[in-house]
Amino acid sequence: MNLSSNAEFIESISTKFSSVENEFDTLKIKVKPEEWVETAKILKEEFQLTYFSWLSAIDWENEVSVGDPPKESVSPHFEIVFCLSESIEGNVVLVSTEIEKEDAMIPSLIEVFAGSNWHEREAYEMFGIEFNNHPNLTKMYLPDDYEGNPMLKSFELISREVKPWPGEVDVEGMPENGSKEDN
Amino acid sequence: MDDILNTGNVPYVSEASVSVEIETEDMTLNIGPQHPSTHGVLRLVAKVDGEKISSVEPVLGYMHRGYEKLAEVRTYPQITTLVNRIDWVSGFANEIPFIAATEKLMEIEAPERAKHIRLILTEMARIASHFVFNGAYALEIGALTPIFLAMEDRERILDLIESVTGGRFHPNFNRIGGVKPAAGSGPTTKKNVQDLPAGFYQETRDAMEKVLEAVERMEDLVGGNEVFKARTKGVGIISKELAEEYGVSGPILRASGVKFDLRTQTDFLPYDKFEYEIPVGENGDCYDRWYVRLLEMRESAKIILQAIDSMPSGPLQTKVPKVIKVPKGRSYVRTENPKGEMGYYVISEGGLGPYRLKIRTPSFSNISILPVLLEGQLLPDLIAIMGSLDFVLGDVDR
Repeated sequence: MNLSSNAEFIESISTKFSSVENEFDTLKIKVKPEEWVETAKILKEEFQLTYFSWLSAIDWENEVSVGDPPKESVSPHFEIVFCLSESIEGNVVLVSTEIEKEDAMIPSLIEVFAGSNWHEREAYEMFGIEFNNHPNLTKMYLPDDYEGNPMLKSFELISREVKPWPGEVDVEGMPENGSKEDN
Repeated sequence: MDDILNTGNVPYVSEASVSVEIETEDMTLNIGPQHPSTHGVLRLVAKVDGEKISSVEPVLGYMHRGYEKLAEVRTYPQITTLVNRIDWVSGFANEIPFIAATEKLMEIEAPERAKHIRLILTEMARIASHFVFNGAYALEIGALTPIFLAMEDRERILDLIESVTGGRFHPNFNRIGGVKPAAGSGPTTKKNVQDLPAGFYQETRDAMEKVLEAVERMEDLVGGNEVFKARTKGVGIISKELAEEYGVSGPILRASGVKFDLRTQTDFLPYDKFEYEIPVGENGDCYDRWYVRLLEMRESAKIILQAIDSMPSGPLQTKVPKVIKVPKGRSYVRTENPKGEMGYYVISEGGLGPYRLKIRTPSFSNISILPVLLEGQLLPDLIAIMGSLDFVLGDVDR
């Protein structure tokens, strides 16, 4: 009975939107980038999904610097996902869209859900996705002069370069000068 | 205050030209990152006009550890260690949704007994977290005593968690497919696994009695205090609509009158077997947020007492392969953390670790409401409002 297992709700969503997937009780609607804001509006007004949960992105890339690449080859793109919920029965819907990596751009959801503000700023700094009409698209966590977008699959973890994981010995040696000086 | 000034100026008609309000430049006030009431390292850049706040800009990132990136280079069992450091006040509760999301993808289910143990420890983490809030919030308002009482009471809960898991804050007790045999549980050979430490049931019953007493005492001591009431009632009101639009969840949302508790919608913890109430506030002010959390502790204690009495016997772990590989797929699982909706969106490509792990933490969304909420408030109320949101910076920055 977790998440979107409400049959009536699933049916009404399926009739409204053409591509709806239900995977492990997680309902996902795929839309085109042009329908991004419009979808949020419809879900908020017609389906009472008034609770904005989160927004984030996924970097689909075949050549990765961290982790394992996808099993089957994918065309490189960003997938952007946002999650809405309803606060009485708890129905949940994920909405996803795919955009090009070159000049990644998508309209901001702020006019529909003001709460998307920080989530979009996070996606902007971590993936380099531009959100149009965002009033304050600045870095969320990182220092202002930080370069690069850490969540990209091409962004290497520096600790991996210095020390491979899983390392044989995880404990580092004692400092040679002794610790007395420190005290 | 304007009224008083204006009426004072009325008789002196000749000086009317002087009484025109002089527009002064706003003063910038930096609060934090080292301010005690920011619960860590949150920095607020406030523009103040006298005592009045004209705008607030929270600056985050002082506790950013990049867990979402780190999860991409870790295996599933290793990630459990990471996630219970997100909200360190209730470490155990952070593990549950991740484990549940992974189990869902692997299509396995933990045995009933393991589920009960998970539920008991989650509720204990909730009580411990709310004790910290209760003590710290009263301290921020200006009462010194409650924090000492609350910390003493919380220690009893942490002792219980420690006796089962071996850790006070970071239990790392959940395994995919069950829980690990308890610390100090004697021989761990397969035939003779003793899961909970001896005397755990009785100690829990005693501790829960103490919790119920503490809630009672806190209600009198803090809730009955005129100063506390004056500082919190009618202050920092969050409306239903505003809360939902910003994704504010947990006790804060319920204090605004929305009966939204994810515990009623979980299928991986047996909450449906127990009777409990969901406390809901009316006004959505600081006092309600404090009171809802206080009542929740009482309900959690009730749930634990029921769970102890109906503890099923059986194995602690279901059969899982030695090397855990999660089949390709995606799942989003969310639970009611002490602070709100905690969710993990796991995208697996069939490897040893996830391709992408999105961590939805409650505190991040909860404090995103701060700029709206604090606008036009008085500076002394800032601390009262900020404290009532009960955030942990590890939970904000991840």
